[in-house]
Amino acid sequence: MATSRSNRMLPNPQSPVAPAAPPGYVGTIVGESTSREFRLAVAQEAIREQDLIAVDAELRPTDGQGPPEMIRVWAKVQRIERLNPLFPSEAGHELAATRTNPFETVLSLSREMVTAVCQVLGAEPRGSNPRGKLDQLRYPPQPASSVYRPGSEDMARVVLGELAQRTNRALDIATLSNRPEVSVSVDGHAIVTRHLAILAMTGAGKSWTSRRIIEQLAQKNYPIVIFDPHGDYTGLADVPTLKQRVRRYCAQFPLFDEDADAVAKIVSALGYELSPTMQGRFGDVFGAASRFINVDGAELASRVDWLAERLGKEHLRKNGIEPNMWLIANLAEAGELVLRAEDDDSRNLLVEWGWEDFGKYSKRDIGTLEAIKKRAYKAARVLQTMEQTNRKIARSAEPLPTDRKELVRYGGISVIALAGYTGDFQATIYSLIANDLFQARVQEELKLPVLLVLEEAHNFVPGRANTPAEERSITTTKQIAQEGRKFGIGLVMISQRPSRLDETTLSQCNSYIIMRLVNPADQNFVRKVIESLGEDEARLLPDLDVGEALLSGQLINFPVLVRIKPPESKGEREEEDAFKTLEDTYRSLQ
Amino acid sequence: MTDPELSNRRLTEAGVQEDLQRQPHLFVRLAENALTVAESLRGNYFKNTATFIAALRKAVANARQGRRNDPILEVHAVPETSWADVQDEVVTFIDGGVGQVQLASQVPILLRVGSYRVRTGERRLSEREQFGYYPVILGDLEGGSKERKDFIDIVRITAELLAGLAALERTPDLRVLMFHGPLTYLVGSYAGHMPFTEQDIDLFLRQYAQDAHIALALKEEFLQQAHLDIYPKMTKRPDEWARQKLFEPLAFIAFLLRQLRDRARQRRVPTLIVGVVERGGLRELSETVLLERVFRGLRQKGNGDYFNRMYGRTDLSTPKALLDRLGYTDSLLIAMLLEPGQYSESWSISKFDGLRRGEVALPGLAGEETVNFEALKPGPFGFPRIRGCYLHVSEITEPVRIEVFDELADADYLEAIVRRVYLYSRLLPGYGFPVGLDIADKYAHIPAWLTNAYSKLIRYHLGISLQQGEISDAEMRRVLVQAIYMTHRDWLFRPEP
Repeated sequence: MATSRSNRMLPNPQSPVAPAAPPGYVGTIVGESTSREFRLAVAQEAIREQDLIAVDAELRPTDGQGPPEMIRVWAKVQRIERLNPLFPSEAGHELAATRTNPFETVLSLSREMVTAVCQVLGAEPRGSNPRGKLDQLRYPPQPASSVYRPGSEDMARVVLGELAQRTNRALDIATLSNRPEVSVSVDGHAIVTRHLAILAMTGAGKSWTSRRIIEQLAQKNYPIVIFDPHGDYTGLADVPTLKQRVRRYCAQFPLFDEDADAVAKIVSALGYELSPTMQGRFGDVFGAASRFINVDGAELASRVDWLAERLGKEHLRKNGIEPNMWLIANLAEAGELVLRAEDDDSRNLLVEWGWEDFGKYSKRDIGTLEAIKKRAYKAARVLQTMEQTNRKIARSAEPLPTDRKELVRYGGISVIALAGYTGDFQATIYSLIANDLFQARVQEELKLPVLLVLEEAHNFVPGRANTPAEERSITTTKQIAQEGRKFGIGLVMISQRPSRLDETTLSQCNSYIIMRLVNPADQNFVRKVIESLGEDEARLLPDLDVGEALLSGQLINFPVLVRIKPPESKGEREEEDAFKTLEDTYRSLQ
Repeated sequence: MTDPELSNRRLTEAGVQEDLQRQPHLFVRLAENALTVAESLRGNYFKNTATFIAALRKAVANARQGRRNDPILEVHAVPETSWADVQDEVVTFIDGGVGQVQLASQVPILLRVGSYRVRTGERRLSEREQFGYYPVILGDLEGGSKERKDFIDIVRITAELLAGLAALERTPDLRVLMFHGPLTYLVGSYAGHMPFTEQDIDLFLRQYAQDAHIALALKEEFLQQAHLDIYPKMTKRPDEWARQKLFEPLAFIAFLLRQLRDRARQRRVPTLIVGVVERGGLRELSETVLLERVFRGLRQKGNGDYFNRMYGRTDLSTPKALLDRLGYTDSLLIAMLLEPGQYSESWSISKFDGLRRGEVALPGLAGEETVNFEALKPGPFGFPRIRGCYLHVSEITEPVRIEVFDELADADYLEAIVRRVYLYSRLLPGYGFPVGLDIADKYAHIPAWLTNAYSKLIRYHLGISLQQGEISDAEMRRVLVQAIYMTHRDWLFRPEP
C-alpha cells in the first residue's frame, strides 16, 4: 500500500521541474484568489495573524508586447483557520463527557488543514523599489504559488515607504508586533497637520503611546500644548532630554471671562439652586464684582480697604482680592450689609464703583442678597478646593499666562494640569485656551504652529453636549479639526471611550492608533467611523496585548499591527503596588 | 421507577411500545413494513410486533436468569472496557471509496482504498498515525466484466483485501484489522465475472506491497494453488487457465481471505480481523437460530399455530414464512431485543449457498465456458467460514453486524473484538459505528472536484470525437450525444414519431 509518506505522484517527464520552495516559505495559494484577497494553505505553524508575507508573480503586458513584469505582491494575514476534517465533533463531545484524552483513542489527530486568509496590500516591482511604495494590484496572484516571509529589511522598507527617505518626518514609535526586529516609524507630518486619534481602553497603553509620540515630536522641536486632566504628563519634565523644555501650568478658572448666566449656573451647580429672583439679582452682583476689581493701584487698594472694613475681614486687606467667586460672594455680602444698615453713602459708593442698579434696591433685596451670598460662598469654597487640588497635583507648576501665546514655544512642551476640576470646568478652561490659540494663528499673531494634545478627549468633545461648557468645547474642537490644517494647529485626541466622542471630529482625524478595546459600543463606533479599519482588524481589538496597537491612516503606509516602544517619561499615575504602598506608608507613620 | 421495575416494564407490550416511541429509526422501519405487508397483517402490525417482541424479551430474560433451560437467543453484555485497557495497540481500519461521473447515468471511474493505522496512546503524531491510499482507475483493468453493475464491487473487494494483507505484512504488532463491510460478501451473486489478467493483478500488487518480492510471491502462490488445486475443480481447462495466468476473481478473493486468516493465526497473539456491517439486510440469525428455536418451543408446547392465531392467517408456520410475510430482518429484531451494550450469540453465516455452476467469458476469447463455483465453498482452497454476531451500540442506532473468521473465533477472540468495536463506536453514539472506519471512509472519499474534473475530461474528449466525425455508426452517435448532452429536459428523449 502506498502510504502518505511515500505516495508521491511521479513527475511527468515532459513537464518542467517545479522550482524549490523559496526561503522563508510559509505556504501555497489555494482556492480562488482575487486582487484583494487570497487563501493560503499554511505550512505548519509558519505564520501568525497580522504577519506580512509576499508572493512573486509575473504579469504579461495586456497588449502581449514586451517582457513580463516581475512583481512582488505583499499581503497581510488576516485570519488563520484550523480544521481537522477527520475529527468528528460528536467524538469530541464524547471525549469531554468521559474526560478521555484523544491520544488514548483511535481518533485521528494529525490531519489538520490550516488555511490563512490574506489581504493584498499592494505590489512592487521586484528588485528595485527603494521607496517601498506599493501599487494597487490589478490581477490576482496565481493559485499554487509559493508564499514566503520576506526578510526584515524588505519589510522595513515597505512598512516605512517614503518615510525611509524623509527621515525628518519619521517618528520612531514602534516595532512590528510579530517581528520585533523591524522598527516602525510613522509620519510625524501627518500627525501634526492632519490630526491623530489614539483610542484604547483603560490600561491598554494609550498614555504610554502618546508620551512616546510627544517625546519624538519634542526631539524635532515641535511646539506642543497638552491638556492633562489626570497628571499623566507630569513626568515629562523628568526626561533628561526634555528637562528644560517642559513647563507645567496650573489652571485657574477664568470666572470673569464667562457671562453672568454661566456663572449663575456654576453657583447653582456648586452651591444651592438660585431661584429666579436670585438669578435676576445675581447678574447685577456679577457685573458689580467684575467692575469692582477692574481698576488698579490706589483706587483698588481703597476699594479693598472699604470692603475689608465693611465685611470685617482683615485678611482682605492683607491678601487683596482676586477676580474669583470669593469676590462675588464678598460683594453680595457687602450689598446685604449696606442695605441692612441703610447706609446711603456706601450705597452711592457701590453704585459709583459699578453696581449700577444698586441705588434702586430696597429692603426686600436684603434676603435675596443674603441668599446669593451664601450660595456664592459655598461655590467659592468648592472652587477653591478644586484649584488647590489642581495646584497640588500639578506640583511645581506656574499659573497660566494671561497671554496664551506664551504656551507655544519652539521645542517647548506646555502641560496644562486640569486635575482637580470637574468636567465642565476642564472643558471651559480648555476651550478658552484652545480658542485663544486658534484665533492667534488666524490673526497671525502666533507665528509658530502647535500641536494640541487632549487626554480624555471624550470629555472635551463628547458626541452630545449636555452643558453649555461642553457645547463650547465641541464647537472649538470641531473648528480646529476642520480648519486647523490651514492654520498650523494639529490635534491629538486620546480617549478610552471612543463611542462618546463626537463622530464628526473623530472622522476629521486622518491617522489612528487603536489599541485594545473590549466595549462592543466602542468597537462598533470605531469601525463605523474609521474607514480604513477592516472587519478582520476590528475583530482583533478585544484581544490586543497591552502596548499593541493597530496603526491606520496617513501616518503609515498601510494598516499594521505594532508594539509601541516604551517612552522615556513616566506618568504621575504609574501604578505602584497598592499593598506595598500601604505597608510603606504604615511604616512611615510608626 | 426502580431498576427492577424498569426491567419488568421492558418485558411488557406497553414497555416495548414505549421503547419504540423513543427510537424513531425503528418506528419508521416498522411503519415501512406495515405498508408493504399483506393487508390482513397491516391492521395490528405494531401491536402484534410489540406482543411478539415482549414475549421474546421475556424468554431471553428468563434464560439469562436461569428460569429457562432453552434460551431462544443468548445475549451477552459487553464487558466494561476503557481506553486504558487497549493502550499501545496498533489498529488498522480499511475502507474503499468510489468516484463516479455523471454521463448518461452514474458511471464509476475511480476507486480509492483508504487505510488508517493508529497506535493508541502514542503521543508523537508522526509515530501515532499513518494514512495510505491509492486510486485505481477502472479503465486500466483488462479483466472483470465491466458491463456488470457489480464490477466495481469485485475490484473494491480485491483492493480492500490486498490493503488488509499489506497492513498485516507491514505491521508485525498489528492487533486489530477492521474492514468496513462484511468480511466476506454473499459471493454467489458475484460469480461469472471475466477473470483478471496478470497485468491487472500486477497493477493491484504494485500499489499494495512495498517489496516487489512479496508481491511476486503472493502472485506465484496463488497461481500455483490455482493450477494445482483450484482450477482443476472449477473448469475443464485448468491448464489453459494456468497458462494464461488468469485470476478468476472469486478464487482470488477466497485466496486472499485465506491468506489473511492464516497469517493472523500464525501470530503469537492472533490479529483480531473483523468486518463491521452497518444497516445489514440479513435475516439469517432470525430465521435459522432465533425463530427456529421459537417455533420448536411452540411446537413443544403444542402451540405451533401461535402466529397464525395471532395474525389470523394459516401460513405463518415456519420462520421463513413469518419473516417473508412480516418483513422483519435481523437488525430490526435484534434492535428491539437487545439493549445498548449487549451483543447476541454468534452463528456461522451462510455466505456461499449461491455458489453454483455458471458461465464465464475469458479475456480475448469468444464465447463462454461453464465454471463450477461450488469448488470455492469452504474447504482447504475455498472461502473461509465466517461467524457473525450483532452488537447494539446505542439506543438511537441500529445494531451492527460483526463478522470474523470462524476458525479463529473462540469465545475470547470474539469477546476481544466485540469490546473494541463497542469502544470505538461509543465515540460516535449518533452513528453507532467504529470511528476509525469513519475516518478511513472520509480519507478514502474521492472528492467531487476530482470526479467533476474527470467528467469534464470525458465529455470533452467524447465531444471532440463526435465533432471530428470519428464515430460513424449512427446509433453510437446517438448514444454518445445523449451521454454528453443529456439533461433532464433533453429533447433527445422525446418519443420517436
